[in-house]
Amino acid sequence: MAAIEFLDVSYTVPGGAQILDHVSLVIGEGEVVALVGRSGAGKTTLLRLVNRLLEPDAGRVVVGGRDAREWEPIRLRRSIGYVIQDAGLFPHFTVADNIAVVPRLEGWDDARIRSRVDELLQLTGLPPAVYADRWPGELSGGERQRVGVARALAADPAILLMDEPFGALDPVTRAELQSEFRGVQRRLRKTVILVTHDMREALSLADRVAVMESGEIIACDAPPAMLASGDARVRKLLEAVTVPFSQDS
Amino acid sequence: MRLVEFWLSHRNELLTLIGQHILLVGTATLVAVAIGVPLGVFAARRPRMSAPLVGFANMVQTVPSLAMFGFLLPVPLLGGIGPRTAVVVLILYGLLPIVRTTIAGLNGIPAPVREAGVAMGMTPRQLLQQVELPLALPSIVAGVRVAAVVGVGSATIAAAIGAGGLGEYIYRGLSMVDTTVILAGAIPAAVLALVVDGGLLWVERRLGSRRSHRRLGLTAGAASCIAVLLWGGALLAGRGSETIVVGSKNFTEGVILGEIVAQTIERETGLAVQRRFNLGGTLICERALLNGDIDVYVEYTGTALTAIFRQPLGQDPAAVLTTVRESYARSGRAVLDPLGFDNTFAILVRGRDARALALRTIDDAARHTSGWRAGFGYEFLERPDGYQGLASTYGLRFLEPPRVMDLTLTYRALASGQVDLIAGDATAGLISALDLVPLEDNRQYFPPYDAVPVGRSDMLLRYPQVRAALETLAGRISADRMREMNHAADAGREDPSAIARRFLSELR
Ligand SMILES: Nc1ncnc2c1ncn2[C@@H]1O[C@H](COP(=O)(O)OP(=O)(O)OP(=O)(O)O)[C@@H](O)[C@H]1O
Ligand SMILES: [Mg+2]
Repeated sequence: MAAIEFLDVSYTVPGGAQILDHVSLVIGEGEVVALVGRSGAGKTTLLRLVNRLLEPDAGRVVVGGRDAREWEPIRLRRSIGYVIQDAGLFPHFTVADNIAVVPRLEGWDDARIRSRVDELLQLTGLPPAVYADRWPGELSGGERQRVGVARALAADPAILLMDEPFGALDPVTRAELQSEFRGVQRRLRKTVILVTHDMREALSLADRVAVMESGEIIACDAPPAMLASGDARVRKLLEAVTVPFSQDS
Repeated sequence: MRLVEFWLSHRNELLTLIGQHILLVGTATLVAVAIGVPLGVFAARRPRMSAPLVGFANMVQTVPSLAMFGFLLPVPLLGGIGPRTAVVVLILYGLLPIVRTTIAGLNGIPAPVREAGVAMGMTPRQLLQQVELPLALPSIVAGVRVAAVVGVGSATIAAAIGAGGLGEYIYRGLSMVDTTVILAGAIPAAVLALVVDGGLLWVERRLGSRRSHRRLGLTAGAASCIAVLLWGGALLAGRGSETIVVGSKNFTEGVILGEIVAQTIERETGLAVQRRFNLGGTLICERALLNGDIDVYVEYTGTALTAIFRQPLGQDPAAVLTTVRESYARSGRAVLDPLGFDNTFAILVRGRDARALALRTIDDAARHTSGWRAGFGYEFLERPDGYQGLASTYGLRFLEPPRVMDLTLTYRALASGQVDLIAGDATAGLISALDLVPLEDNRQYFPPYDAVPVGRSDMLLRYPQVRAALETLAGRISADRMREMNHAADAGREDPSAIARRFLSELR
């Protein structure tokens, strides 16, 4: 069954430009779809339609078999993990409190929250003893991004929206995080939309790669097919990946 | 040194005034927060609303505080004299900084942070409580700090409308021209402002850096809020019904007369008396009496006639008293019997000359003035009941045109021989101190300014014993006696309450 469906969706900034132009994309349960495309292509906008931060002005967005408009927005958002483009951590909450936001909103008891936070910190490679009580201002950019991922995972949502979760990292850390992601995904089987500028990252992490340009999806395929694509715009993105690509097992 | 002595000898009063001051500012600041923060939240959500709102608050801020007290005096519910009006004014002043910093604090929150809250599934209320307000808090506290510090300053002016606080000393000092008394109020007020400023700055810094202790801080804050509000509520709830409130004008003589009236009521009736002294002027006293904020105070017949009832001055004391009495009666007030002295202008000469030339009246002096010099205050030269009329009534002619100088300086100029005749205040303490002699106004040129207690009729009907008590004062305060008492306060720096006590014990 499809977890997320974009059915002929358009979005126009109120009184402004059209940003999404008849986009259709169906994402299966447990599938990882990477959205790639140049800056300003409309990737973030597409993500924000899923948890109703934005409403489409034409077409339908279906989440878990129900039209997003039928969902109660608060319910919908709490059941979707969202990793925000620039982490968006609450500066007045410690790392642990940031991760615990949705569980707290959902009214979990303290003991359960504490063990969940520890678990997630371990999972994202941040030893709880060192990081739990730090403030976001005391973290490096990469550490903040990991906290952002841990926060999105906290209430164990079936759907994860990740907006450049590994952006602006050095190649080594980035590779580490990517391999952590693959390990986690093998165990948890979430439905994931992963936005990235990096074609290489998309090809290595996703089951399918969707290429966006000027508000349209111009290609959507599994990595091998994408590599073989003859579309000039896709080739251009692929050529930007300088190191010859080899898919990990 | 004198300052420390003053504080020590007035320490109970000082503590009361500091307490009142803190209470005024504390209550006003808390209410301003309670109104200003929601207003700021509202305005931050609707940018179109925020400009006019801040503009309005700005405008309120530019109204001088004394004028603001004046505007509010006649307003029902909010107005009147006493702490209620003062608190309302302080709230109005406190709103602007708080609204402004609330808006600034909320607008300063990075968009991704707010969006994270929404995306996590926070309701608007949760977003406000858990994200927006905590992040705006340091900014809001900065606004509260400004409001509180400005409040400590503005509250000193509140004494003019009988709200108490450290301004009492400042006004008392101003009316006695005694710097020590001014400083006795000004210094604690300044220290209070510094303490408030420092304390809130500390809170602001702590909030800015860390979230820890926040819960503790909020609890302590809430507890102190509740305490101040309870205390404030008790204060604002007003007086008990068995209390007579005595008012007074804001100069030495007014305060001494207020004390005499208050102590007389206390001694003769045993009723509790509340003092609301140093009210800033005739019209404030009038309002207060009309509204029932005070029950009785001492007014001068000529002043009531012109300033309150806006009628032309008459020369005949009995006729003026009758007119004033009838006018007051129409609005439910009763004029009691005159206290005995007339605080009008007095034509003064040196005691030496008066004795040598056997001068008793102004007519006596008129025979000699062609060889004399005169000195007058600015006001006396301008007033309709001033120099021009005097000169033509008595046919006065001087050696040279009268010198114009500050009224307070004319007494010394006369004593030292620079001038030979002046027009002073009939009850000025300096008259006896410098051995000056007032000449009788035998042609009744000066209108009468007889001192009379004025009370609310309903109070006098309810407590006939108060009327009886005040009648014991009728005709008992001579101009000489009033001059001595003024002198004891102004030159001898004696307390008005001690002066009044001495006067009353001699009266028996
Ligand atoms: N509120 C808005 N008002 C006007 N234009 C907007 C608004 N939000 C987004 N846009 C425009 O819509 C386009 C798509 O924005 P979007 O954030 O979806 O891009 P993106 O693909 O995520 O880019 P990036 O990779 O740089 O994050 C951009 O051209 C952006 O300027
Ligand atoms: Mg984006």
